[in-house]
Amino acid sequence: MAKSDDCIHILQGLLVFGNVVIGMCGIALTAECIYVVSNPHGPYPLLKATENSDIYAAAWIGIFVGLALFALSILGIIGVIKASRTLLLVYIILMLITFAFEMASSITAATHQDSLTPEFFLKQMLERYQKSEPANDSDNEITKTWDELMRQSHCCGVNGPSDWQEYTSAFRLTHSDADYPWPRTCCVLDAKGLPVNLDGCKLGVPGYYNSNGCYDAISGPVNTHAWGVAWFGFAILCWTFCVLLGTMFYWSGIEY
Amino acid sequence: LLPLLPLLLPAAHGIAQLGPRPALTQEQLEGVTTASTFVLEQPRCVFEEYGNAVIWLVVALDKDASNFNNSAGPGTPETEFQSFPDPVRAYMTLNATLGSYPCPKPPGDITVLRVGSETSCAQDVSRPTCNGPLPGPGPYRVKFLALEGSVPVAETAWSVPITLRTAKSPSSIPTTGSGHSAGMIAITAILSILFAILLAALVAMLVFWGSDSCGGSSAFSKPESVTVRRYNTHHVYDQPAARL
Repeated sequence: MAKSDDCIHILQGLLVFGNVVIGMCGIALTAECIYVVSNPHGPYPLLKATENSDIYAAAWIGIFVGLALFALSILGIIGVIKASRTLLLVYIILMLITFAFEMASSITAATHQDSLTPEFFLKQMLERYQKSEPANDSDNEITKTWDELMRQSHCCGVNGPSDWQEYTSAFRLTHSDADYPWPRTCCVLDAKGLPVNLDGCKLGVPGYYNSNGCYDAISGPVNTHAWGVAWFGFAILCWTFCVLLGTMFYWSGIEY
Repeated sequence: LLPLLPLLLPAAHGIAQLGPRPALTQEQLEGVTTASTFVLEQPRCVFEEYGNAVIWLVVALDKDASNFNNSAGPGTPETEFQSFPDPVRAYMTLNATLGSYPCPKPPGDITVLRVGSETSCAQDVSRPTCNGPLPGPGPYRVKFLALEGSVPVAETAWSVPITLRTAKSPSSIPTTGSGHSAGMIAITAILSILFAILLAALVAMLVFWGSDSCGGSSAFSKPESVTVRRYNTHHVYDQPAARL
C-alpha cells in the first residue's frame, strides 16, 4: 500500500509538473504569436499583397491556443490534486481539441514558410513594382516596401540587379533600359537620397550600386516567425502528448 | 610597272589598318551588356599617329558590317542613328579627338565607352550622330574610323559580333511546385501520429471505464475518502501521580 501511495504521489507530482510547464509554454506561445501578429516588420506588405498570409492565421490561432493551454493546465492541476474523474475527463477532452487546433496552426505555419521561395517574390516584384496604373493600394504598398527594403538593406532585386535585365517588368514599361538598367534605389545613395555617381551606377561599377539580392533580407524575418510558430508549437504538442497520456492513465486508475 | 604598284596601292586604299579590334570592356561591370547598351574598351594607344583626326565609332548589324563604305560621312542621312537599322545599315557616333584617349592608360582608371547611353536625342533627327539606345539584341559589330576632314585615314578591324541581353517575360517564372520541405513533412507526420494515439487512448479509456483493468485493487483512492480510524484498544488513563 505504501508503495502504491508513493506511485500515486509520484504520478500526481509528475502530472502537476507537466501541467505547470504546459501553462508556462501556453503563455509563451501567446506572447510569441502576439509578437508575430503585431510586429510591423518590413516584408509584411509583400505577404499581405499576395493574399498568402497564412502565417498570420497560424499566429492568431496560436494566441488563443496559448491562452487555452494556460487555462486548461490550471484545470488539470486542480483535477489531479483532487483526483476528480469529471474534472479530468473535461480536461482531457478540451486538451484534445486544443491539440487539434495547435496542430493545424503548426502545420499551416510550416507549409506557408515553404511557399515563400525566391521565385515567388521575384514574380511579384516584376509584375507590381512601380506599376504605372496601380490596380489597388497594395501595388503602391509593394513599391514603397521594395524601395525601403532596397535602401535600408543595400540590396537590389530578389537575386540581384540582373533580375531587371533578365526579365521584362512593369518597371521596364515606364523606364527605358538605357537610362534605368535597374531602379535608382539600387544605386548607392547619399544623404539626400540621390545616387552618389549616376553613371557609375548605370554602368554597374562596384561600389556605386547594390550588387546583392534582397531575398536574404526578406526571408530572414519571415522564416524566423514561421519556424517560431511552427516548431515551438510542435514542441509544446509533444510535451502535451506525454502529459495527456499520463493523465489518461491516472484517470483510469482513479476509484470511482 | 611593278615598282609603281606599291606606290599605287596605299594611294588607292589610303587607310591604315590598326589593331587591336574593338572589344567589350574587361572590367567587372554589371552593365557590360544590357538590353539596349553595351560597354566598349576605349581605343587607347591605337590612333597615336593621327593627332589631327577625329575618331568615330561605326556601329552596324553583323550581317551589314562588310557592306559599309568608309567614305560615308558622319552626320548625313545615310549614317544617321535615328534611321538605324532600316534603311540606315550602319551609323557613326561617339566622335572624339586623340586628346580624349590619352596614352598610356593610367592604371586603376576605368576607361570605357558606353554605346547607347543617350536617350534624349534618340528621336531627334537634328542630332544624327546621337549615341542612342540600340533597337534590338543584335548581334552588332563595331569599328573605329579616323577621319581627317572627310577623308578616312585609319581604321580598326571590325569587332567580333556583340549580342545584347534579351529579357524573358515574368510569367515564365515557375512559382508552383515549390515542394515541401523535410521539416514540414516531419511535423505533419509526427503530429498526426501523436494525435491518433491520443484518440485511441481516449477511446480505450472510455471503453474500459469503471472496469478494473490495470488499476484493480491497487487503485488510486481519493484522499478525502480515506479515513484512518484510530482504534484505541485500551483506555489509557492518566496514572495517578502518586502511587501508594
